[in-house]
Amino acid sequence: MFLRISSAIAAIWLGAAPVLADTPVTYTDNGRALFSFSVPDFWAVRTGGTREIEDTQLGDPRAVARVMGIRPVTDDNVWIGFVAPAGVASIDGGLRYLQDVDKFLVKSPVVSDNVSTRIGGLPAQVIRGTGTRDGRGVNFTATVIDLPNDRVAVAVAVLRDGADPAYVEDLNAVFASFRAAR
Amino acid sequence: MTRKLIKRTCLALSLGAASFTLSACDGVTVGVGYGYDPFYDSLLWNDYYHDVDVDIDVDRPVRPKPPVGKPPARPKPPIAKPPARPRPPVARPPTARPPIHRPAPRR
Repeated sequence: MFLRISSAIAAIWLGAAPVLADTPVTYTDNGRALFSFSVPDFWAVRTGGTREIEDTQLGDPRAVARVMGIRPVTDDNVWIGFVAPAGVASIDGGLRYLQDVDKFLVKSPVVSDNVSTRIGGLPAQVIRGTGTRDGRGVNFTATVIDLPNDRVAVAVAVLRDGADPAYVEDLNAVFASFRAAR
Repeated sequence: MTRKLIKRTCLALSLGAASFTLSACDGVTVGVGYGYDPFYDSLLWNDYYHDVDVDIDVDRPVRPKPPVGKPPARPKPPIAKPPARPRPPVARPPTARPPIHRPAPRR
């Protein structure tokens, strides 16, 4: 009898385990939705907005677009961020934008892979590589996704040394959930 | 006597091991906060709109010119402060509480 009950409980437990409930978020610019993606469970979202920031040494203000970053609540070695920079209309433009960002993102980047693919049914360029940040090794995947209406989405996923490799699955789930707004 | 000594030694050793095990848990918790978020800040900051070599013009709104001359002096804050609010009395009269324990009625 006890065996039967315990096996039934085990069956319920195993059956209930793989349920996922991701949270969809939408990236907007001037009130217009550009794209959306799903945030995995137990991840934190940080969002900014369009603004101008200034280098105190150069005294040169520059416009920055909304950056949305997500990361696991309990692991700050994993991060993925999205930005749709203003005035960037093509994948080539997005790659030039990335060139002006990568020096801040990682030091001594070494590109291991540069492929054209499709993300969310849209043309995309994926650049994978490694580098360092604050003296620690970093594994990055930078993507430029061609959005409708002459816009692009730039997504950068980062796994710092020491990150749980299981988070790669979550990162790929975020990419798989990427959809352009209609 | 020997048995007692062995018991005591075992107890002392297990207590020592327990204290080491508990202290090992200290500081294992992952601290999460947005005080320093290097990757977020890096994706935010870019040279794209700054680099002169980039052959793309971004229509930035024209910034209003700062007014010529010194701005008018700010109004000085009043030196005197508004009267302080009446403070509630520090000591309050004791509230009458019913006795919790009452002597049992004599039979």
